[in-house]
Amino acid sequence: MVELCRLLLRSGSCLVACRTGRSRFSSILSNHGDSSWTTLMDLISADPTPVPASTSSSSSSKTAAEASPTATQHPHHVSTKTTLGEKKSKRAALMQIQHDTISVAKAALHPVRANIISHHKQKQKQKKPVSYSQLARSIHELASTSDQKSSQRQLVHYVFPKLAVYNSVDPALVPSLLMLGQQCEDRTVLRYVYYNLARILSDSGSQGLNSGGGIPTPNWDALADIDAGGRVTRADVVPLIVNQLSKEATKTDVEFHGRRLQALKALTYAPSSNVEILSILYEIVFGILDKVSDVPQKQKKGIFGAKGGDKEFIIRSNLQYVALSALRRLPLDPGNPAVLHHAVQGISSADPVAVRHSLEIISELATRDPYTVAMALGKLVAPGGALQDVIHLHDVLARVSLAKLCHTISMARSLDERPGTKSQFNSVLYQLLLDPSERVCFEAILCMLGKHDNTEGTEDRAAGWYRLTREILKLPDTPSNSKDKSQKTRRPQLLIELVMRRLESSFRSFSRPVLHAAARVIQEMGKSRAAAHALGLQDLDEGAYGNKYETVDSFDSDMHDSSHPEGIRRATGVSNAAVGKDTIAGMLASLMEIVRTTVACECVYVRAMVIKGLIWMQSPHDSFDELKSIIASELSDPVWPATLLNDVLLTLHARFKATPDMAITLLELARIFATKVPGKIDADVLQLLWKTCLVGAGPSGKHTALEAVTIVLDLPPPQPGSMSGFTSVDRVSASDPKSAIALQRLVQAAVWFLGENANYAASEYAWESATPPGTALMMLDADKMVAAANSRNPTLAGALTRLQRCAFSGSWEVRIIAAQALTTVAIRSGEPFRLQIYEFLHALAQGGVQSQLSEMYLSNGEDQGASGTGLGVLITPMIRILDEMYSAQDDLIKEIRNHDNANKEWKDEELKRLYETHERLLDLVSLFCYVPRAKYLPLGPISSKLIDIYRTKHNISASAGLNDPAVATGISDLVYESKPAATESDTLDDDLVNAWAVNLGDVPAVNRVNEFLTGAGTDAPDVDENIVSRPSVSYDDMWAKTLLESTELEEDDVRSSGSSSPESIGSVETSISSHFGGMNYPSLFSSRPTTYSTPIREEPPPYTSPERHDSFENPLAGHSFDSQDEDHMSSGNLKFGTALYDFTAGGDDELSLTTGEELEIQYEVDGWFYVKKKRPGRDGKMAGLQHSIGSLGKDNSAGIVTKVVLDTALLRETTNGVRIETWQGGSGYVCGVRFENVRMESLINSTVM
Amino acid sequence: MILAVLFANSEGNILVERFNGVPTEERLHWRSFLVKLGAENLKGVKNEELLVASHKSVYIVYTVLGDVSVYVVGKDEYDELALAEVIFVITSAVKDVCGKLPTERLFLDKYGRICLTLDEIIWQGYLENTDKDRIRRLVRLKPPTEF
Repeated sequence: MVELCRLLLRSGSCLVACRTGRSRFSSILSNHGDSSWTTLMDLISADPTPVPASTSSSSSSKTAAEASPTATQHPHHVSTKTTLGEKKSKRAALMQIQHDTISVAKAALHPVRANIISHHKQKQKQKKPVSYSQLARSIHELASTSDQKSSQRQLVHYVFPKLAVYNSVDPALVPSLLMLGQQCEDRTVLRYVYYNLARILSDSGSQGLNSGGGIPTPNWDALADIDAGGRVTRADVVPLIVNQLSKEATKTDVEFHGRRLQALKALTYAPSSNVEILSILYEIVFGILDKVSDVPQKQKKGIFGAKGGDKEFIIRSNLQYVALSALRRLPLDPGNPAVLHHAVQGISSADPVAVRHSLEIISELATRDPYTVAMALGKLVAPGGALQDVIHLHDVLARVSLAKLCHTISMARSLDERPGTKSQFNSVLYQLLLDPSERVCFEAILCMLGKHDNTEGTEDRAAGWYRLTREILKLPDTPSNSKDKSQKTRRPQLLIELVMRRLESSFRSFSRPVLHAAARVIQEMGKSRAAAHALGLQDLDEGAYGNKYETVDSFDSDMHDSSHPEGIRRATGVSNAAVGKDTIAGMLASLMEIVRTTVACECVYVRAMVIKGLIWMQSPHDSFDELKSIIASELSDPVWPATLLNDVLLTLHARFKATPDMAITLLELARIFATKVPGKIDADVLQLLWKTCLVGAGPSGKHTALEAVTIVLDLPPPQPGSMSGFTSVDRVSASDPKSAIALQRLVQAAVWFLGENANYAASEYAWESATPPGTALMMLDADKMVAAANSRNPTLAGALTRLQRCAFSGSWEVRIIAAQALTTVAIRSGEPFRLQIYEFLHALAQGGVQSQLSEMYLSNGEDQGASGTGLGVLITPMIRILDEMYSAQDDLIKEIRNHDNANKEWKDEELKRLYETHERLLDLVSLFCYVPRAKYLPLGPISSKLIDIYRTKHNISASAGLNDPAVATGISDLVYESKPAATESDTLDDDLVNAWAVNLGDVPAVNRVNEFLTGAGTDAPDVDENIVSRPSVSYDDMWAKTLLESTELEEDDVRSSGSSSPESIGSVETSISSHFGGMNYPSLFSSRPTTYSTPIREEPPPYTSPERHDSFENPLAGHSFDSQDEDHMSSGNLKFGTALYDFTAGGDDELSLTTGEELEIQYEVDGWFYVKKKRPGRDGKMAGLQHSIGSLGKDNSAGIVTKVVLDTALLRETTNGVRIETWQGGSGYVCGVRFENVRMESLINSTVM
Repeated sequence: MILAVLFANSEGNILVERFNGVPTEERLHWRSFLVKLGAENLKGVKNEELLVASHKSVYIVYTVLGDVSVYVVGKDEYDELALAEVIFVITSAVKDVCGKLPTERLFLDKYGRICLTLDEIIWQGYLENTDKDRIRRLVRLKPPTEF
């Protein structure tokens, strides 16, 4: 008591601080909006609190109180910057006080009020807002007179309600509150006292804001600390409160019963971080529960609240209730057996809320230790037990907890040897499916489906779907069930039937929460179903008859068609749907019909949930037209908020992860979003989706996936003001400037995406290309080159076409990105793509081609700039890098030729120079885009051997030469070891990609995708990935044997790095000359047919002339290829070459050659070479050319070749004309091959298949 | 966890708010989100007709009661249906306290009692009492059941 009085005295000094607080309310209130404080202020000023004059307060404090409301009005607009979240430092608080003091003085001098408070005040003159300090003082004063009725009324009607408006309570009030608690008799006053004590206890004190809400109040503790007089802080009063409350909570006096309950409740608001208070609480709670459990439960649980019950019993159950409620709020201590013991007892409590809390505690315990919980529950679950009674308990949440508990136990592995117990809990769960409350029924369904929290795995989900579609509800014959008449007549029925019926009726509900929840259940159902299909549960035949007695038949069909469960399901599903609703597919179909109609719901959130459900229920094999049109028409509705749309996009993403087969479908859906609501969707989210789908589409779907993504670029530009085309999917809806800009951004994203991923999608990488830079294709003119490129890799060619168009007809930003994208593709692709882009970039820089191209494509009306495309400055560095690469390649070729002709070995300085050029170019290239440094050869494939030699000689590990942080990760040296194992290069590649993804941070919009990539490692110019990709290599049986032998020998080394060659064992000279002749690209003529371990590729015409590199000679000069051809033909200079494979003469005009044989090339026509043997043979002449699609299925690989066009060719004096060659044992197909306008003369075989 | 209970007047000014487990910096977002939601959707809605919204895994159920709108935000076990239960308890308790559909004036008049009632309905983020009589008794510091 002495302590109390001291505090009471100290609390007098709080008035200054209270004033500070007051000013803060007004400032913060002004953030809410003016009228907010008006109304709440209304409440505060609802009735002026007439402070009784008879109180002991001095006149000085009264004047202070009167001054405070006015004084604080002025700083209102000064401190409007104060926000809720602002930290109130002590210094700030001090300033505030100082400011207030000044304001008081100012207010005295200038009584003019310009702010809203004063306006308000003038309107309602008689209503003065009551300041917090006034309230506080009133409490202090009334506390001392709390025995008087008038004081009590004051407190109940004016003071406490107003105090409740503020969101925290000054700890300085505690002494008065405690005094009230001890002296006052009035129940309502006491209730308020407990309420406020709880608020003070729960106040974390950090921000002066607690969970209470209301008008923000200052940080009392901070204010107390700066107060020199030493105000009351929370730390001072909390022990007092706890002391008082815990005393009250243990009072067994019957009269005190109600207060005891509230005291315990208030005590639980203390922060759980306080160990002392926690231990006190545990002590009290367990003390009460022990006492309650001492007395055997006499009364059977009956209708609660019946008057005149056993008083003792009711008091006990009240105590049990409040103790369990308190226990529920305390941190769960799973190690304490008393918790479980008391909670299990609580299930039998007469108090329904106590039962609910018990079940909640138990179900939480069950997730940790199901076995113990199941044992503890023992007989309660049996028919007639307390758990069965809970099914009929009125409390919804209690039943929800019961469902969770039953699910946890029935799924527990640790209870496997007690199937009886499990099935008992399971049967309770099934009974809850019949629960009248949707909340309980849906919870039971979700539990069935295997969704209990978010950690469940695919297996759980799949098993959930299996359970739902297979199991039968049999109601136990219990006395409790006999109450329900309908249940008696119920025959056992399939769960799925029950669930479907329930959901159907829920979808007819008018309540939006019910619709929303039902759609959510559908979504979860779809997830489980997808999981089941993903795991390939064999007998998941949805066409199976729902009727259990016919399942034998359907099982038969399951077994029969187990290899194609989807196919048969679809077939039977379709046929059965017509027959009736007996099959699961039929039931699902009719349910989905109802779900679709729910899209008509007014609430956009319900619709979103329905669409998510539909996306999840969409089966990869069914037509998705309906879903597509639903989404398209939905997106036309402007009310959709952006967050919701992005949420749906993420659902697409999740759906894809569950069923990668659906990549194309989902991309098409995503496309609708991109075209319909470009302004609302997050380009990052969309890119993420594109990326995953592209990666997930697999080798065969990559092309389609890329098409689906870039179709955005093909759309006509938005027509301003055109609102009519809304229903069309292919029309861009960007009627307002904002969405037009967003669409622009989206197109940029798509262009970037295309540039970054075209090579991946097309599986075309320079460092594993089948074609060396510049082959015979170079001899064709530009158009031919495009055609050839198109036939070689339609995916990449298509992507290039799109990018080229964007570089012309897009907006400025799009053009820039398109040019960058093109450069990326150029650097990463082999020939002829690089050259094609190179030429295009030139044209772009000069603007020459623009006039001719821009007519062909739709322009968005933008002025393309006076100087061509206006991209010249930007493109210059890009062209320069390509220039440098090409000229360096030319130099290298010359060097090689010189060495070869002179039969010289390479000197160390020469190699060094070469190596330095290689590194320099690599550095340059890395500036533009990522390439795997270990594999990338800017000087072309021929350089690889020389560089290898130099490295080996000088013991340069790759890392030494690498200063690119992306690669200098310490593992790169693995690749340049003389004989790296395949696995090592694997690791390297992954890490490279990861390192790259991490380092590629300069394009913000790209980050998310990259993050994703880091996880998936898929953008991977992944070398070993190509095992399943790409068109293939193959040759005639004639050479099969020789080839096979050499291949087998070399395969290991060759696979591993793509740069080490068996010939490196030999002299430098030979290896170089073989490189020189063979160009080190895999062809029939090469001694190393699988150098790049690319199982599928298309073969360019074999090439034996070094002269072809002349075409690189001066790319800047812009020679047309035709003219170069003429140069070749007219120049009588002798050229030399090496045969790349054994060739048996097929006729008089052919030469038999052996591998490596040196030849003199006389001339060539359209890629036909007329050669002379250096050592004369029969006639010294040989011509070789073939157009071959080869090595399909070699080494049992899979090879797929599509869309190859050979147009306009002259074949003369060769063994074979056109040929498609496959290997036995392989798989794959060749389709869409067209040979046109091929003139053949003097051939042995015109066409070989 | 019931993350928030919020009462606002028809102009979107907040009258009562109770947050549980929501960081201070997020409260402002929630406040404006809910008020905006109400402003957009509550026009012409019947009393106590439940509206629903969701944001990621958080559910929102809200309705109109006289001049005030009530918002309840929850997650985990407090999904839209559980929140529908919660909001039903709240609205019926508020009606009970006010004696009829509350006008703003009436609501503010009964402000203290409403706060106490809320305190009995939601205890540290969990739904506590649902029975009207029981709530009334507890607010008057009586034991939940008469004896």
